[in-house]
Amino acid sequence: MFSHIFITRLKCLLRDRQLVFWTLLFPILLGVFFNMAFSNLNKEETFQAFPIAVVQSDAYQKDTAFRTVLESVSKGSGRIFDLTVAENRQAADKLLAENKIKGYITVGDEIGMTVKNSGLYENILKAFLDSYRHTASSVSTIIKTDPAAVGRGLLNDLGAQKDFTREVPISSAKPDNILNYFYALLAMTCMYGGFWGLKEITDIQANLSPRAARVNVAPVHKLKAFLSGFCAALLIQSAEILVLLAFLMFGLHIDFGTKTVYVVLTALAGGLAGLSLGAFISALIRGGEGIKVAVLLAVSMTGSFLSGMMYGDIKYIIQQHVPILSYLNPVNLLTDAFYSLYYYDTFGRYALNMGLLGVSTFIFCAGTYFIIRRQKYASL
Amino acid sequence: MPVFKLCMKIIRKHLPSMMIYVVIFLGIAILITTASTRSSSAGEFTQTKTNIAFFSGENTPLVQGLKKELSKTCNFVELPDETEKLQDALFFRSVSYIIRIPKGFTESFLNGGSATIGKTIVPDSVSARYTDLAVSQYLNIARLYVKNLNGISQEKLVNDVENDFSTDTPVELQASAQTASQNDFAVYYFNYLAYTLSAVLILGIAAIMLVFNNLDLKRRNYCSPLSAGSMNVQFILANFVFAMACWIIMVGACFVLNPDALSRPNTLWMVLNSLVLTLCLSGMSYLIGSLMKSRNAISAVCNVVTLGPCFISGVFVPQEFLNGTVLKIASFTPTYWYVKANNQIADLTSFSYGVLSPTLFCMMVELGFAAAFLAIALAVGKNRKRES
Repeated sequence: MFSHIFITRLKCLLRDRQLVFWTLLFPILLGVFFNMAFSNLNKEETFQAFPIAVVQSDAYQKDTAFRTVLESVSKGSGRIFDLTVAENRQAADKLLAENKIKGYITVGDEIGMTVKNSGLYENILKAFLDSYRHTASSVSTIIKTDPAAVGRGLLNDLGAQKDFTREVPISSAKPDNILNYFYALLAMTCMYGGFWGLKEITDIQANLSPRAARVNVAPVHKLKAFLSGFCAALLIQSAEILVLLAFLMFGLHIDFGTKTVYVVLTALAGGLAGLSLGAFISALIRGGEGIKVAVLLAVSMTGSFLSGMMYGDIKYIIQQHVPILSYLNPVNLLTDAFYSLYYYDTFGRYALNMGLLGVSTFIFCAGTYFIIRRQKYASL
Repeated sequence: MPVFKLCMKIIRKHLPSMMIYVVIFLGIAILITTASTRSSSAGEFTQTKTNIAFFSGENTPLVQGLKKELSKTCNFVELPDETEKLQDALFFRSVSYIIRIPKGFTESFLNGGSATIGKTIVPDSVSARYTDLAVSQYLNIARLYVKNLNGISQEKLVNDVENDFSTDTPVELQASAQTASQNDFAVYYFNYLAYTLSAVLILGIAAIMLVFNNLDLKRRNYCSPLSAGSMNVQFILANFVFAMACWIIMVGACFVLNPDALSRPNTLWMVLNSLVLTLCLSGMSYLIGSLMKSRNAISAVCNVVTLGPCFISGVFVPQEFLNGTVLKIASFTPTYWYVKANNQIADLTSFSYGVLSPTLFCMMVELGFAAAFLAIALAVGKNRKRES
């Protein structure tokens, strides 16, 4: 009997092309859009040597010290600037107006700069000029205090800039904040699996659909019928999640870290959580299918928003200011589980997330069971 | 006007699903308004400050001096010294640089030793490079003193370095830069408008079309004493009124949120651009409506058709952050040209024909799309009529 209902339900669910679209194709499409839109965001954050100009003048030609420093930071692979020499100020202004350079340097009585905006790159240019200015000031202070310092090699020390910092990586994985969008997308898809759960309830509660009314007349224990259907939905849901996961991993090359087995298990657990959430909402809320779908959508979309699917920083803001909300939100639990697997070297937070997800899945399942059990209808 | 009235009735019935988009849109617009009021420093160069976390195992005058100088280029974010918290902060860019000064650093530094400061950064990022410059600048100048003035006391060293750092490079801001930042809000608003407008127009117009394309209803309508011409005129009028109402409500909200935008010619050009887009999107919605057969499919198509172009054309992520191939694909959607025109308008300081012509070209392309959508829709309609 189980296999009979199971296969029938499988066919029944798969024929609902609209649901297949929302639970599989839509997330894949969103993944493609995310990938297209975000692929360059990290490059934007990466430092690249940027174009500046210096205005040609007698003062610039005479100031060999400055010229040498400027030229030294404008060549080689570790350079900061791509330097051009502009004939005069008008030419430099034109370059700036056309966005060909970030700013230009003028050498006169003192060294100045002209820019269009106050961005990070413009500030780096200023930091460079400031550092030249500050060094010059320190040299004159030193000479004033002890003129003999020049003889001891003060000027040589000037050239020998030393790096006093050493990089201490905090994790074996790169802090690539674009990834969170894809983790949240996968988590959202798990919750969208709730549509299957919702349909299962609609098709087993006799007051909700004619099909359910027919199923209820059959001499099969309701729990058995429901469990068979639920398993069919779980199979479809799991298959869809795995397809999406494979697409993200191999199609879009999203980095899920090295603990792949855990990632797959987490995704499957997420699928079950989503399914049971949908069933629970559907059982809990009395009313038409439209209202149930709306509630499920509202829950999963608000959850996705709060876990950073539309605006990445939200997840962190919630975690900082309303941590309880981040533990109540199943989408965030899943997103955070993927994030922990990718980024942390320890399993503490992952275990916490999965534990809470397990508890909520249990609550959803138990809740559904107690609502739908023993419902009999005298008349429909 | 029975047909017109019916159309309005259908729209009213679908109002809730459309309102969701409008409410979210207005919510985001209000958020942007409140967020953009604080950056009102147009016309002056501002020192950008990056967020960093600063941990020190010792509290010597040198460390204090470094921290003081860093405060000019950095905001110090208080974070608990726990690995996961620091990892989170770095991942979500709450800080872009974590400095950790080991105990005994000052002593080693003053004696020419090799102790180093630990830094944890977002690898290769611009902001890390910026903070790097500030840290290395301070320490290198301090080292210059230590090496060349034998026996300099730590207090005098810090004092002298602070003195050196007291003057700044003079910065001039190019004149034309000033209006651009004033238009920030308007650009965000009007770019994002493309998303809401397309969602609302497709939902509304497709809903009307679906009813009228129902074969039974169509047959019934043909035997009514109303002439086909009058029916069509009313039908087109209803769609037009609906589109215009959407446009007026959303553009109007811009001026309610930001009244001084009204006084800038840039904003008025954006309003014109959004009107052109409204026409184009109405055409697209008409085409989608004439292709759709079921109500359920509308929301699926609506989501794909609105989200897709918005992602790749620079509505959600600005065009300058998108890569070339994506933008080339995007140029096959009207949204791309709309956003491009908006971005151009925002940078304008004069409005002669010569400066405006690239923007006008974008608008012409949008109109071209509108014509193409309508032509296809009419062809589809004619085909279907023959079939029925």
